[in-house]
Amino acid sequence: MADQELERYVRQMRWQLERMPISRRGFMWASAMSATAAFLAACNSGGGAATAAPSSAAPSTAPTSAPSASEAALESLGPEPSFEVPPDIEKELFMYNWGDYVDPNNMKQFQEVFGVDKFTYDTFANNDEMMAKFQGGATGQWDICCPTMNYVPAMIDQGFIQKLDLARLPNLKYVDKTFKGQYWDPTDEYSVPKDWGTTGISVRTKDVKEPVKTWREFLDLIPQYSGKVVFVDSPDDVFIAPLKANGYSLNSDVKEELDKARDELMKVAPHILALDSDQYNTKIETEEAVLGLTWTGGILELRDKAETADTVYTIPEDGTVFWLDTWVVLTDPPHPVAGHAFINFIHEPHIQAIETETNRYATPDSAAKQFIDPKMLADEALFVPDEVVAKLEPQKDNSGITQRQDIWAEFKSKIGQG
Amino acid sequence: MTASTEVAPAARARRRRSLPPGLLGGLLVLPASAWYLILLVAPLVIVVVMSFGTKSKFGGYEPAFILDNYAQALDPSRISPFVTSLIMAVAGTILCLLAALPIAYFIATRGGRHKSLLILLLIVPFWTSFLIRTYAWLTILGPDGLAGFIGGITGDSSFRILGTPFAVLLGVVYAYLPLMVFPIYVTMERMDRTLIEASKDLGAGRWATFRQITLPITATGLITGSILVFIPLMGEYVVPAILGYGRVFLIGNQLVLQFLESRNWPEGAARAVVLIVIMLVTVVFYVWFVNRGQRTREVSVL
Repeated sequence: MADQELERYVRQMRWQLERMPISRRGFMWASAMSATAAFLAACNSGGGAATAAPSSAAPSTAPTSAPSASEAALESLGPEPSFEVPPDIEKELFMYNWGDYVDPNNMKQFQEVFGVDKFTYDTFANNDEMMAKFQGGATGQWDICCPTMNYVPAMIDQGFIQKLDLARLPNLKYVDKTFKGQYWDPTDEYSVPKDWGTTGISVRTKDVKEPVKTWREFLDLIPQYSGKVVFVDSPDDVFIAPLKANGYSLNSDVKEELDKARDELMKVAPHILALDSDQYNTKIETEEAVLGLTWTGGILELRDKAETADTVYTIPEDGTVFWLDTWVVLTDPPHPVAGHAFINFIHEPHIQAIETETNRYATPDSAAKQFIDPKMLADEALFVPDEVVAKLEPQKDNSGITQRQDIWAEFKSKIGQG
Repeated sequence: MTASTEVAPAARARRRRSLPPGLLGGLLVLPASAWYLILLVAPLVIVVVMSFGTKSKFGGYEPAFILDNYAQALDPSRISPFVTSLIMAVAGTILCLLAALPIAYFIATRGGRHKSLLILLLIVPFWTSFLIRTYAWLTILGPDGLAGFIGGITGDSSFRILGTPFAVLLGVVYAYLPLMVFPIYVTMERMDRTLIEASKDLGAGRWATFRQITLPITATGLITGSILVFIPLMGEYVVPAILGYGRVFLIGNQLVLQFLESRNWPEGAARAVVLIVIMLVTVVFYVWFVNRGQRTREVSVL
């Protein structure tokens, strides 16, 4: 295990050293600059749009001196990542994405290698907000975007995204077959898988002693922990609990089934502390909330901290959703070449592994797994075992079902009002 | 142009060299008119037209002429966000008024040479982003802040301030207080101080002087401040979403839900129109009230 980690570290280190475009004498200055840039980027990324500073600095993780003893060992390691920079690449890239969803060092790396001086990262809070922007006529503003897969068909239908130039995306060969030819993009011409995950139950076992293995148990437990329950602010995810607890499909559009789901939701609404997609992990961390219907993001980090190690993320036994976020190229992008280059770059196995470790969502690229921390690979909340995968249901586009929207609007207005 | 026939020959000669008066006036009004047309009238027309439409397959708007959206907006079972908004807006305005009156009175009458400094101190918070200041309240009121402190004293570990109407009220009063202080301050500053002395000479007590002299004269400021606070409060979205955890669900939050989440623009537009009507009624009432006040004062002077 330790050998593997060392090997992985050496591999990354060597690869980063070779990318270092500056002499060692300039390193102190450069690392100071890159630290500043990283700090600025971190500050900015919270507030919507962040433009990563163009910088020729080395990655801040690079060591100050290369250990010469292991240089011989370096030679025996696997293939080197090589980036083919398209000659016609533009100097800018405009991305529209979820907040904090790309590793900042990877972004910097991309800018350095591909000579993209200006990398704009604009954010949206949920898919519907993104769709509303495009329906409001925001096409042509960005190059690439990250919708969840169930929004891809509607985006194709309304002409918001265009066909990919597959010749510019050779790294798609690393993407698992499981994610190809699916309902949202049967011919794989429009979208590239980014990462995938589940929606489940988060519990502070310090405070909640009862077993919570199913959605049924979760819903029944909520009144007992009134005012200490957080849900993500996302209708598709919230509907999973009442529908799956009753054994229905989470994509149900049957009136009776949705009526039942409504009753269940109205029963728990007064006991909910907040609908919160951005800060749910903070609420669970401070024990403001001890039960949650959440994604995995942020929750897995809580398990690693001593004070919050009692946090458990469960994939309910009665089944849940699997979602997949995808890379798409928007219609009439101002910088199509840079957009494709970035999507291809991010699927380079080394880069993809860093993405997985930063974002903590499962990668669709098997080839990237060899570079991922084995401890992370063994995490069943992240890389879900096959028997659990069998129970997962893909999210479909339910945004056209009026009854769901009415229930959601009613539910949202009843939060905390007993 | 009829105006040119009425002006004296000398004036006409003078004006001939410059722009014709009608054109000059038109040019001067142009920016303001364009601003109103493009940013107020046009969007208003779009919202009204949209409110009679229907939702298209993927959300958004499809032309139609139906009244369903208004029926939905005024449906008694869905009207609670309007009611909550109205209660919160009235409560917030009153709290702002109660907090602003002593501040404005103090600065105007006791400020002395520090007046400008005191006014500056009121503006200083505006130098920081509104969002950051609201997030700061999360820390101040949160479980590691005031709520935890009070909970520790009372022994109730689950004591919570965030996510309650109190937190929202605190947030909006904090945010809108300067909008209330300034108009009141301006009217108090301009007030003729000798009137108060006269009132006291005539034997009126402090309370009688305040009620009969200070309050009527500063009424314009009070009303202007109230309107400035009330209108944005009715459409408030950020504070209830952040400090109220969405548990205080106002009309602003419902509009966001409808436009950005349900993507049912026509229904959202209908609610927006209802909100606009409420605002209009308020402002008309305000104008009527202020005019009435001025007329009575003219009469009393006579």
